[in-house]
Amino acid sequence: MLLKKTFRTLLRYKAQFFSMVIMIALGIGMFVGFNMEWYSLEKDTGYIFDRTKFADYRIVSENGFTAEDLQKILALDGVSAATRFLSVNTIVDGDTDVLALSINENMTVSSLYKVEGEDYDPESPDGFWLSDQYAAKNGVKVGDPLTVKYRGLIFSGTVRGLVKCGEYLICLPDETQLMPDFNSFGFAFISPAMLRSCVYQGVQDYSEQVDFLTRMGLSQVREDDLDFYFQINVISGLDKENFAAAAEHALSRTMLVLSREETASWSEAMGEVDEGKTMGSILPVLFLAIALLTMVSTMHRITASEKTQIGTLKALGFKDRRIIRHYACYALIISLIGTVLGLGLGWFVGWFIMNPGGAMGTYLDMPKWDLYVPPFCWAVLAGINLFTLLIGFLSVRQMLTGTAADALRPYTPKRMKHLRIEESRHFKALNFGTKWNLRDCLRHKSRTAMTLFGIIGCTILLVGGLGMRDTMDAFVNSFYEGAIHYRNRVNIGNGPEGNIIAEMVSSYLKGADSEAEEARKAAESRTAAEALADTLEGDWSGTLSVELGGGPISVEVYHVTRDKVRFLDDDMHFTTLGNEGVYICSRVAKENGLKTGDTLVLSPYGTDDHYEVKVAGELRTLGKSIVMTDAYADTVGIPYSISCIYTDREAAEIPADSRIASIQSKQAIIDSFDTFVELMDLMVILLVVAACLLGVVVLYNLGVMSYVERYREMATLKVVGFKDRKIGHLLISQNLWLTVLGVALGVPLGMLTLAYLIQALASEYEMKMVIGPLTYVTSIALTFGVSLVVGLMVARKNRRIDMVAALKTEE
Amino acid sequence: MNIVEFKDVSRVYRNGEHEQKALDHVNLQLEESKFIVILGPSGAGKSTLLNLLGGLDSPTGGTITVNGKDISTLTANELAAYRAATVGFVFQSYNLIPTLTVIENVALVKEIAPDPLSSHDMLAAVGLSDHIHQFPSELSGGEQQRVSIARALAKNPKILLCDEPTGALDSETGVMVLKLLLSMARDMGKTIIIVTHNQNIAKMADVVVRVKNGHIQACEEQQKPLSVEEVDW
Repeated sequence: MLLKKTFRTLLRYKAQFFSMVIMIALGIGMFVGFNMEWYSLEKDTGYIFDRTKFADYRIVSENGFTAEDLQKILALDGVSAATRFLSVNTIVDGDTDVLALSINENMTVSSLYKVEGEDYDPESPDGFWLSDQYAAKNGVKVGDPLTVKYRGLIFSGTVRGLVKCGEYLICLPDETQLMPDFNSFGFAFISPAMLRSCVYQGVQDYSEQVDFLTRMGLSQVREDDLDFYFQINVISGLDKENFAAAAEHALSRTMLVLSREETASWSEAMGEVDEGKTMGSILPVLFLAIALLTMVSTMHRITASEKTQIGTLKALGFKDRRIIRHYACYALIISLIGTVLGLGLGWFVGWFIMNPGGAMGTYLDMPKWDLYVPPFCWAVLAGINLFTLLIGFLSVRQMLTGTAADALRPYTPKRMKHLRIEESRHFKALNFGTKWNLRDCLRHKSRTAMTLFGIIGCTILLVGGLGMRDTMDAFVNSFYEGAIHYRNRVNIGNGPEGNIIAEMVSSYLKGADSEAEEARKAAESRTAAEALADTLEGDWSGTLSVELGGGPISVEVYHVTRDKVRFLDDDMHFTTLGNEGVYICSRVAKENGLKTGDTLVLSPYGTDDHYEVKVAGELRTLGKSIVMTDAYADTVGIPYSISCIYTDREAAEIPADSRIASIQSKQAIIDSFDTFVELMDLMVILLVVAACLLGVVVLYNLGVMSYVERYREMATLKVVGFKDRKIGHLLISQNLWLTVLGVALGVPLGMLTLAYLIQALASEYEMKMVIGPLTYVTSIALTFGVSLVVGLMVARKNRRIDMVAALKTEE
Repeated sequence: MNIVEFKDVSRVYRNGEHEQKALDHVNLQLEESKFIVILGPSGAGKSTLLNLLGGLDSPTGGTITVNGKDISTLTANELAAYRAATVGFVFQSYNLIPTLTVIENVALVKEIAPDPLSSHDMLAAVGLSDHIHQFPSELSGGEQQRVSIARALAKNPKILLCDEPTGALDSETGVMVLKLLLSMARDMGKTIIIVTHNQNIAKMADVVVRVKNGHIQACEEQQKPLSVEEVDW
């Protein structure tokens, strides 16, 4: 019989029932959803990293590594596997697409995950194992021919398989692009055999053209001598410091050692996981807290209004335990339904953020997109259900205190107390409605606090969500629309991967050039690149990698006379570089405790040289970098080579030049960012929808409770002669005051939350928090809109007040 | 002069197919400035009669004219204006706003009444000048009912409607409240209509309306009504 009563009670308080179910479902949905996202990401990225034996370390040297070098690394204690590795950006024949062509000598590290086609064959003379994402975007199938070119070398063959690789989990051509764009950039693997054969063919062809070998005093070149790997990928349990020291000792030279944390694929993926953890800990806590507090407040009110019934059951002879069980079941039913719905919502949120067809699918190239619920979530869900059971228990126990006669007495709200403020003239001058509402708020503090909490939560989410969008827009506009002031970026192939055949042959077969010869070649190369920049009427930059604070940092040297590249100062204003020192990015400044006026010592990787430079200012940059002018670099004597030319020439107008490795348009860079913006937009949509839902549910639930609690008072006002509209205004005005207060507190809290989110979610992008006037207006208007709509929904009810029935009851 | 006139008034409550006639073709005329008691057992229809007269409810048939105006067809807003201007209520359970002080409870009628009286004067008249800043919960039942009377009269209504005004009070306090109610209403020239099942109160009335099973059994004018002191409580 009591079970029937339970269901009828659910029906009787249906507004409260649905509100509590929705709040719990929302809280659990957000909690489970965001935690599912990062946990699934961790598991699924872990899967591809494990399956493709993601390297712990990459040893990089522009002089390359011999087979003996590899053996020395393999012989190190703590090294379980190692392979020589090469990756160069090649141009797809007949297209402008770029493929990172990779060769892995033994596939014990950084191997492939086959999606379709043949298994990888290390002896294949013509096989390409192509990125399946690139293939899908460009309509390439297994069996299709493929030719890629690299500065005179031609690699021609057939696509044998479609693959994924942990090394290219986030497949980016360079650090200016935040998001992969498989339409124009992908990766492909060929066998070491094919590399040798193609390079050999290239050398032969080149030799025929310019009689190169004879000039070099060589009769022939053996294919086996043409292995050229700039990198060794290693799996090792050693920490970086010990590994780097051991590797340098074994190879007797200084090298750049990059740990997995210093690779984009690993750090960005783990960054996503960390961001997910942050998101999973801020929003759900807010939602869950509001849900549970609403539950506490609502359950107390339901049991209070059921007090006479509780007393009747007690008077009839029902034991306290049974009555408690009855009402605790009521709370548990709500909680269980909310949990089931919340799990469904959580799965949807998890899927919404993380599915291969969405923005995350473009960002991460993973074979598996399974969703997992973190184990601790189950414990939290159990805890929530136990807590709601406890809420039900405590609420009804309070009503059962004393004898059956005590329990039979209707619940009496707290007596009014005088406040000091009431003595003031201003208070006395307030109209009746204001006093009525003010005292009602003070009399029902928990209800008022909950309403305020809901409004603050709603505003925080709106300011945070929309502010995130503003910040992103400002970031995109400043970095991409403003700082990139060129039409095309011409990448010059004189980095470690860019040696042309002649350089490769001469340096490898004849041994390393003398320092003087290297300097001469560098000067020649720079002059040629400068001449090309002049031809293209462009500005140029060069890069080198230096060690600072135990890790590698990119140093960018700029020659800007035609305003093709702009720089942003700490306040996101455009600034020009001076020749008095280097400019450090905010992260370098923060991590190394540097400020303007300080001096620091830079040591280019692979050398024992040290250069003391002065910090002339701070910049906001995309990558973690140190920036200086070419004039300052020349003053200090830091060596660098020109790597990029920035020009307004159309790609078709750029003359063919063997130094040009690739051309990247500004539009392509901006387009790739669209996916990033799309990913952020998903979050913003989720936040705004959640904010409005939260606002509506919390305010409606509390509005209904307020209405029920003031029913008799409103009936009295109606009897006295107040019109429905006036009573409605009184109800709405209380909501609006609380909204004013909630918004006043919510906006600054929203700004703090946004600042925290930017720091936690996007610290690597050096964004500056920007909140546009429209965001303030929209957030405030939406919060007020929600409050007003809910207020009107509740106020409409007063038309149905039964004055006669209401006034017969006792308070 | 008649201030109230019921013509063939019915009030039928429908609950599905079941009908309950609370008032059945009632005809009644009440004169101005009289003290009228509506007497009858529980369920007789006396409260329905009072509710219809007070504009809390509308008849399902017939017309009710108060002070020359037909109130049976008024809209909700018009009824609210009628309640604000023409009638004052005193209930058994006081129905004060718990979050307003005594003075505020009385003063709130200023928001709606077209010709309100001074709240302080009204509270002084009911002897509560010293309690004006207290909340209802800080007062005794008799004091709360006196606030209720002050509030009803502060609107300066033509008619004062009282539904069992002493029902929740002990007899001594009830007599005191009744005495106050009558003296104030009479001094101010108000028509007082009290609904009660207490025969003793009827002895004080100018007119006694007896209601039973939704019909007016009798409407008797008493030539020599007793004073409060003369009634054997």
